[in-house]
Amino acid sequence: MRAPVKSPPETARRAAAPARPGFVRGALTIAAKDLRAELRTKEALNASLAFSVVILLLFSFAFDPTAEQTRALAGGLLWLVFAFAGALILNRSFARELPNDCLDALIASPVSAPALYLGKALANWVLLMAVEMVSLAVFGIFYNAAWTRRFGLLVGVVALGTWALTVVGTLFSALTVNLRLRELMLPLLVYPVLIPALLAAIQLSGPLALGEPLASDMMVWLRLLAGFNLIFTALALTLAETALVG
Amino acid sequence: MREKTLIVLCIVAAILLAHNLYVILLVLPDEVAQGPIFRIIFLHVPAAWTAFLGFLAAAVASALYLVRKDLRYDAFAVAVTEVGLAFAAANLVTGMIWARIIWGIWWTWDARLTSMLVCWLLYAGYLMLRHAVEEPTQRARIAAVFSIFASVDVPIVFFSIRWWRTQHPQPVVWGGGSMDPAYWNMLFLNWVPLLLLGMVMVVIRLRQERRQRELEALRRMAHAL
Amino acid sequence: MDERNFLYMFYGFLAAWLILALYLVALVGRERRLQREMDNLRRMIEEKHREAS
Repeated sequence: MRAPVKSPPETARRAAAPARPGFVRGALTIAAKDLRAELRTKEALNASLAFSVVILLLFSFAFDPTAEQTRALAGGLLWLVFAFAGALILNRSFARELPNDCLDALIASPVSAPALYLGKALANWVLLMAVEMVSLAVFGIFYNAAWTRRFGLLVGVVALGTWALTVVGTLFSALTVNLRLRELMLPLLVYPVLIPALLAAIQLSGPLALGEPLASDMMVWLRLLAGFNLIFTALALTLAETALVG
Repeated sequence: MREKTLIVLCIVAAILLAHNLYVILLVLPDEVAQGPIFRIIFLHVPAAWTAFLGFLAAAVASALYLVRKDLRYDAFAVAVTEVGLAFAAANLVTGMIWARIIWGIWWTWDARLTSMLVCWLLYAGYLMLRHAVEEPTQRARIAAVFSIFASVDVPIVFFSIRWWRTQHPQPVVWGGGSMDPAYWNMLFLNWVPLLLLGMVMVVIRLRQERRQRELEALRRMAHAL
Repeated sequence: MDERNFLYMFYGFLAAWLILALYLVALVGRERRLQREMDNLRRMIEEKHREAS
């Protein structure tokens, strides 16, 4: 007796349809790809790090690093450094896909647009966190700040603030990828939107970076930061497809 | 909207403004602590209300564009945003002039002035973004996404900066507390002509967008020949 | 102080209306520019039609 053979249309169909990765797996694959690509060349990482060290240095000329007033500026200084250094990383996020039509290939891939966006945002977040940790160490040295004293809380606050920066920055990077003045437009658009998150991060990081405890009325800033992240992550995931594809 | 309707709206607005100006300058009593400069509030606050209405309308129009893909929604969005920016600028400048008299300095980092400045920068960015994109459909899509982000951000900006200012109190532009009902009524009464003028400007701007599209169609035809 | 107070009130009103007027002027200028370009294009198309025929 002949063995039953699967009907041709079914085998053809199964061969033709690629397995669609789940949302999380798709995002993690993209994140890993971006991180691997960046770690191989380290272009954006090096530029970002160098930039942040230079800014910290310049500020030490502008303000006396040991004076009491400078210690009051610590939060603002740190987040200025993080925001400017971050712009370098965020810009490259989608721009690196432009040569050889890589962006079109990514959009045509089975990974959904929100997963693609989330993957890139995650990669940017990791890279920016790395730059920020090194910047914190440099800051601690230049400004004689006991930043490791409240390490856990400080890293938590920096992580939240960086996520805000990354969530909005990555989406706008997707939005502006094909524009002429992309490098100029991206910071110009991102920073005003981020002002509430930056404000919260600055208020929280100020005391923590100097090793001082947070006053109880500062918790509103933490809630603001968390709320901002939730709202804009949801908004960005909803609009990711529109931003990338149309 | 026809020419005639626009002109009628303008005349109605002018009459209302003239009447209000008379009441503001000659009928309403002086505010005890601040003197005559207080009367600027009757332009300062309604201008802000008009601006916010414009930004809200822009957000709704942007969302509608993304859903329906009709470029008319995009034209409406840019029109109300531009007019809103003009009124927001008027609010900022009158606020600064007020601050100069009351506090002696042009800028005070007061919660409301600062928040309005951030708003202004946000929507000025929207206009800059539009200038950077040439293709109409792409421009409409990108601008719509940004407009939605900006409008979600506006209430958060106001809340966060107000909290920042309660933690570090600075001179406040408008003290809180209740206002005399005569003042309240005039605030709303003066809002009406500003709204009418705003509507006229939006209609003019909308017609220009439509004309711009006709222009591009003509250009394509001219190059095809 | 009261003198300057009064003066600045008028400056304030003037500034607000100036800004709105400036925007209107910009609108009207844009309108004129658009009209001019349209007329130019229409003329160009008519000339090309005449050349073709």
